Amino acid sequence: MAAKLAILIGIDMNYTALDDENLIWHVAEGRPEALSALYDRYARLLFSLAYRAVGDAETAEEIVEDVFVSVWDKAATYRADQAKLSTWLVSITRYRAIDALRRRGARPDRKGVDWEAADPAALPRIDGPEQVVEQHAEQQRVRAAVAALPEDQRQVLSLAFFEGQTHSQIAASLGQPLGTVKTRIRLAMSKLRQMLQDERLTVQ
Amino acid sequence: MPEQLHAEIIEQLPSYALGCLDPAEAAAVATHLAGCAACRAELAAYQGLTGRLAQAAPPVAPPPALKSRLLQRVQSPAHARRAPRVPGAEQGLLRRVPPVWAIVSLLLVAGLAVGNLVLWQQLNRAPAPTTGMRTIVLAGTAVAPKGTATLVISADGNQGALVADALPPLDPTHQYQLWLIKDGQRTSGGTFSVDAKGYGALRVRSPEPLSDYSAFGVTLEPAGGSPGPTGPRVLGHNL
Repeated sequence: MAAKLAILIGIDMNYTALDDENLIWHVAEGRPEALSALYDRYARLLFSLAYRAVGDAETAEEIVEDVFVSVWDKAATYRADQAKLSTWLVSITRYRAIDALRRRGARPDRKGVDWEAADPAALPRIDGPEQVVEQHAEQQRVRAAVAALPEDQRQVLSLAFFEGQTHSQIAASLGQPLGTVKTRIRLAMSKLRQMLQDERLTVQ
Repeated sequence: MPEQLHAEIIEQLPSYALGCLDPAEAAAVATHLAGCAACRAELAAYQGLTGRLAQAAPPVAPPPALKSRLLQRVQSPAHARRAPRVPGAEQGLLRRVPPVWAIVSLLLVAGLAVGNLVLWQQLNRAPAPTTGMRTIVLAGTAVAPKGTATLVISADGNQGALVADALPPLDPTHQYQLWLIKDGQRTSGGTFSVDAKGYGALRVRSPEPLSDYSAFGVTLEPAGGSPGPTGPRVLGHNL
């Protein structure tokens, strides 16, 4: 791997240009510059997720800091063949946010469907490194797909994804039958999967 | 695999990936996943999708001070002492190699001065090596009938390594947790994840010599572990 060779012979690395797999390799090697580049790439995504889940900036900050510290400590355990780096980072952040909610004992009193809406007009305007452009396009794809779901499906998906509620908890908090909740989640996920698969094909 | 069960499980995979199944349902899915490659592939697709959903969270920029605080924290001497960085760190290395070599590496990590070749032969021959180490086999319960794990304890009883195989792969919000049992008291021996084949390894952390415990068990817990067992027992053995 070229990046590994560059390190061995002491060339200064441009970490922001590395792909995720190479970047995490350098984090595992204990290079703070690599962690810094990883932070620039993902902190906004992870902070937005944590903030949406716990509802306050202070807790969201603690969560994101802890996530990057554990990435620093455990980067060597990341397996690129099993999950994308973003999937790994999101799952760590989500778990910690949901855990913070559980420890707090009370959930924020929201029955919201507050997913971010897509803004297709912004899509072709973005310039910058390939990573940034791709990340932006991905954001628009996912937002558009979520926005295309019926509102009742967006709502159950939001409670499950952001707040870590189980089927039974969602059914109780919405006053809906358990079977209805299960069906809505299943439909929402399979529709999203279909939409995002198709879109990816047309984008490429 | 009964067809009806398989069809029911497939319907639950999106929720399993989201982590929103109730515990009993999650355990049933985990059990099925152990023996069903088609469902494991389907689950991986939904896990990837779950990760992408974060893109639709309303965007909020983290405060600028967070980054400098993080970079200071990971480079502070206090942090370096707490989490020593070893090149080719134990877990990363172990997760890339097959079980027998993993056991060998773990034993070396545990500081047992025995030659590679000797270990190889002993491990391949018998579950009870003659070096004074103890090998304990943990068998799968009804939740994970194919699951198995080997706990190796050093001759002085102070070091231990667990290698598990054929356990149901879990969603990212769950891990397996080892329990050290004495006088009915359960102490955590650490948590571990398994790969798509159900293989995982753990260097056991124990407050007391492992030889002092009378039994060992493994349960399914939220990622990061629980203070005491809360999930279904997947592996067990009584000395």
